[in-house]
This record gives sequence, structure tokens and C-alpha cells, in this order.
Amino acid sequence: MLQKATFTLADGATLDDLVKRDTNEVMLRVMNDEELYKLEMERIFAKTWLLLAHDTEIPKAGDFVVRDMGEDQVIVTRDRNDEIHVSLNVCPHRGMKVCTAEAGNAHAHRCIYHGWAFRPDGSFIGAPVEKEQMHGNQLGKDQLGLKKARVQVYGGLIFATWDIEGPSFDDYLGDMKYYLDQLFCRTDSGLEMLGPPQRFVLPCNWKIPGEQSGSDGFHTLTLHRSLMEGGVMGGTAESIYDNAPGMYGVDVSCEQGHSLRCLEAAQTFKMFSDISFEGKSVEERLAMLPPPGITKELIPQLFKNLSADQVEQLATIPPQVGGLFPNILVAFIFAPRTDGGSSGALALHTYVPRGPDKVEFINFIFAEKDAPEQVKRDMLQNSIQQTGTSGIIEQDDADTWPQIMRNARGPVSRDMTLKYQALHGHERPEGWKGNGLLYPGFTKDDTQWNWWMAYYNLMAKA
Amino acid sequence: MVNYATAAVEKAGVMRGLVSTNRVPLGSEIYNRLLETLYDEAAALDERRFDDWVAMLEQDLLYTAPVRLTRNGPNKDRDVMRTMMHFDDNYSSILMRTGRLSKSAWAEDPPSRTRRFVTNTRVAECETAGEYEVSSYLYVERSRFDVAHNETLSAERRDIWRLVGGAYKLARREIIVDQSTLGMSNLAIFL
Repeated sequence: MLQKATFTLADGATLDDLVKRDTNEVMLRVMNDEELYKLEMERIFAKTWLLLAHDTEIPKAGDFVVRDMGEDQVIVTRDRNDEIHVSLNVCPHRGMKVCTAEAGNAHAHRCIYHGWAFRPDGSFIGAPVEKEQMHGNQLGKDQLGLKKARVQVYGGLIFATWDIEGPSFDDYLGDMKYYLDQLFCRTDSGLEMLGPPQRFVLPCNWKIPGEQSGSDGFHTLTLHRSLMEGGVMGGTAESIYDNAPGMYGVDVSCEQGHSLRCLEAAQTFKMFSDISFEGKSVEERLAMLPPPGITKELIPQLFKNLSADQVEQLATIPPQVGGLFPNILVAFIFAPRTDGGSSGALALHTYVPRGPDKVEFINFIFAEKDAPEQVKRDMLQNSIQQTGTSGIIEQDDADTWPQIMRNARGPVSRDMTLKYQALHGHERPEGWKGNGLLYPGFTKDDTQWNWWMAYYNLMAKA
Repeated sequence: MVNYATAAVEKAGVMRGLVSTNRVPLGSEIYNRLLETLYDEAAALDERRFDDWVAMLEQDLLYTAPVRLTRNGPNKDRDVMRTMMHFDDNYSSILMRTGRLSKSAWAEDPPSRTRRFVTNTRVAECETAGEYEVSSYLYVERSRFDVAHNETLSAERRDIWRLVGGAYKLARREIIVDQSTLGMSNLAIFL
């Protein structure tokens, strides 16, 4: 059933021209278009749930971090009642930023311009020279608080949306919750962010990393060939395409545009590939090869926090990489170290739009809170060496994405299309326990096309 | 030992510049040799002679780049966040990085054209004989592909150089970048 698209750009292009649902193509021009960008800010970033922070960044009452929901800056705070609030960082008096730091602790946020002050929950305290009532006589103090977003904390991750009456967070996650729980809700104390996020800006449109986070497994074989040539993922330079390491598994996805690639634990990396799980129990498999970020001491907690089916998946074919629509990448990966260890790397990225031709890459790095200190230390190092600013994997992406956007400017090039025509179609593997749209075998374009359908569905709604 | 276990910002230190007060004066023989070494190192990196650069590194090398954070009020100068880094490397991981760049990385293929400008160099003697603290300012201009606009980065470097067999070798480097949000699109180059 085709919905009717509700916008037409100045040159006459409609959403159906840009996202071609009949042929699974997207026009390259979407990767650099001022007019479309403004619509995306309104229809996606001012509407859907967005990941902002982790609750371990703001452990104490009054702690705050400043983050961005698209182009709208917000303050993420914890109040005295341990509640988390997300408030627009715009003084309702004259539009100044109420908070000029990136992080800190404050029980009152006082605007440095005229001194209007607000509590961590966003409510208005007052303006200086109270007797002169400088907040005016038309609006009550209860109407002068910071604009509040709707907040949901999941597995310590702080999400917010401006769509106060919109879909619930559970509706947003959909069938992916079953898989995401295996990463974010598997231990008693949960995850901990190991430090403030890395932040850097790339000259590219947010959708270039965005659509890649829709579980583009295929690019790994070519763009990240150094993982294969270095011997880390198995194979050699000559055998990359014959062996296609890391390409086979089950991609899971949903109509909301989220997806995760579930890869057979023992097959992903060369150093593990001689481990046979044949005839081994779930407990034995977990002990032989704990999922990334899990240590042997933490294994009993998995059984406590997850269902037997979820633990079995984590022991056998754990979710490892993928993303949540619109701008989140998940990488919970095995990370063999140069010293022989392999405690894994747990990272999330958000790709925050900074105009039609810029994106801010924010890299959140985690470990399990109850993991031993040395494991946390190793995992921090693994994540920094593999992902983000200097990460050997993502260095390659950062050099690629800007060139796609540059191509999107040419009057001829912009009419070229991105093709998502290598499709498998939903197929439920035998014995598979989770729900959602399932794509077993070689990783194909299905999950990324689902990302674009989620994009289409939000952009079609005014 | 830095506590890496928490994101809480109060763990940040402020350490900058030289710790030792035992200064090696500008123009002295040791100062001149160390400055020359910094220039040689910059040339090796600008010319992508990674083997020459690695030969200047000690095997107990620690090579880090903490993130910066915009803070205000009483903490406004405590903005070097050593709980999170852009680089967190040692000798073997540096070899992994240079090996990858010499072989199969798409990052830096084609390579950036870079100029590393090293200035404001200050030197002091460490407690261990033959080791010197060297703090310097670094400014990098980086040209990518045929883009007419360079990416740039400015930083302070806090090094320890050790005299080994008549040459100075790098044993510690902490790169304190100035931006909290880097304007450089990756750090596939060394600083």
C-alpha cells in the first residue's frame, strides 16, 4: 500500500522521485540538498526518538551534559529525585544558551545574559531583581521554564523526542528490543561509559553514515580490507572475496529501520576459527568464547537478566554491529589485541547533522560496569584503536563518506541513484527464536532498504 | 595511574607543559639536539617515512591524546579529560598502525600532504639521567585529495625523549589537542 508523499521540492521533485520504492533506488542528490535537509530536521530530528547520552555520564544530582537533537541543542540533567530531564538549551527570555559548558554539575542553570535561572528539571526559578518582576507580567513562572523533551532511559541509554504524544519508545524499538536487550540489558549493573565521548566533524551529509549504519556488511570486505589482510578476520589479501569472512550470519531488522548483524561467534575472527561449538552446551560455549565485553565472572548474570533463548543466541550468534534509525551505529565487536587478548570493544556512535554538508560523529565507548578494571582499560584501548577519531576501521569510512557527498552536487551526478537491489527477502531460519524481519545467509541490502523505508515513512508525514 | 573506570568529569587533571623545573636552556647543546630531533621527526612523518619514524620510538612508548571538554565555573581550566582519548597507543599498536598504512588501508591512500610546524619548544631534565621532558606546540596543515581547503589541527605535545646510543628516542607523548570537537575528519596521521 503506497502512501502519498506530502512534499514537493522547488524543482518539482517529490519524495517518490527521491526514494524510488518500485526499483529500490535513492537519488544521490539527497546526500546534499539544503531544502530536503530542512524538512529532515522537522520531520525526523524534531519527531523521532534520538540517543543523547548514557546515565553513567551524569551519576549525581545536578550533573549535566549538553547534546544536540539535530540542530536543536539540549541540556541532559539529573535532578535531586534521580529523574533525568532533557530541556532545550535556549533561554525563553532572549534566546541565549542557558548552559555554555559541555558538561558539569549545577543545581541552577543561570543564563549569563540577563540572569534568568532554571532548575535541573527545566523549571523557571526567577529573574534577578525579583521586586521588579523582570520576567514580565503576562506569563506565570510556571510557563517560563525551558522547553522540555520527552525522555526514555533504556539500558542506561538516554533517548528523547519532541513528539510528546507520538509513538512510545517500545513502538520505536519494535522487534529489535529482543536483540538489543542482549547488548544493553544483560548484566546486573549494566554498561558504563568510560569517559566523555570523542567528537569530530566530517564534511558529509548525516545520511551517508546513517544508511551505512543500517547494517552495510558488504562494504567491510573492500573498504576495510586491512582487517582481512592483517589476518585479524581470517584469510589473506588474495582470498578476501573467496572466503568473505564476516559476511555470513543472520541480519535482523524491522519496519522502524533498525537492524543488527548477528554473526556466528566462532567464525568471525581467525584467532577463534578453530574453536568448535559442536555438541557444546550454552554454558560451555559462553565459557569458551564469551561475547564481546563479557568476562567469565559476568556469565551467570546473563542467565539472570536474559531469557534462555536470548542467552543461547548470545552464546552462538550474537548481535555485533548495526544501527538504530535515524543516526545510531552499534558496534559490539570481538577485538583481538596486539598483546594477544580479546576483551572486545563496545561503542555506539551518533551522527548528528550540522547542516546539509556536515555531520558530527560522536563516539560513546563502554564496558560492563562490573567488569574488572583491567578489562575496562583494555576495552577502552580497543575501542579507541578500532573506532572513532583514530580508529583503524573508521579512518577508512571518514575518507570515503565526504567524497560521496561531493558527488551529490553535480547536476548530472545528483540524478544518479544509490542502489539497494541485492535483496534476499525475509526468511525465518529454522529454530530462530527472535522476531522481526530476518535475512539469513550472506549480508545483503535488505536492512539498509528498511532504513530508507523508515526514512520515507517519516518524511511522508508533515 | 589514571582511573579509566568512570566518565565522571571530576577525574580530569590539568597537567600541562613541563613538570620538572630543571630547565635545559634554549641554545644549549642538548636543547639544540632535541629541537633538531623534533624537526627530523616532523620531516619523517610529513614525508611518510614510517620506518624512519618508528626507529625514533622506544619500545616502552606510550602515545596518547586526551579529549578536551568545554567547562565553566570552578572547573573551567580543568579541561584535559584523560579518561577518554583520541589516541591510546603503545609501541606495538603504533607498529600495527604504520603497518596498515604501509599496506592496505584506504585511509591515506591516496595520502594526505601534511606540514607539521613545531614551535615553542621547552626542555627540562627528568630525574632519570639521559631523559628529557620536551613540551612543544604543534600545528598541522593537511591537504586531502584535490580539496582546495586544508584541514588543520593545533596541539601541545608533552614528550619524554631518552638518549639511547647517541640519539634521542621518544618514550612518552601526550598530545593535548585544542578542539573539543575535532575539525579534522580522522586521525589517520600521527601528531
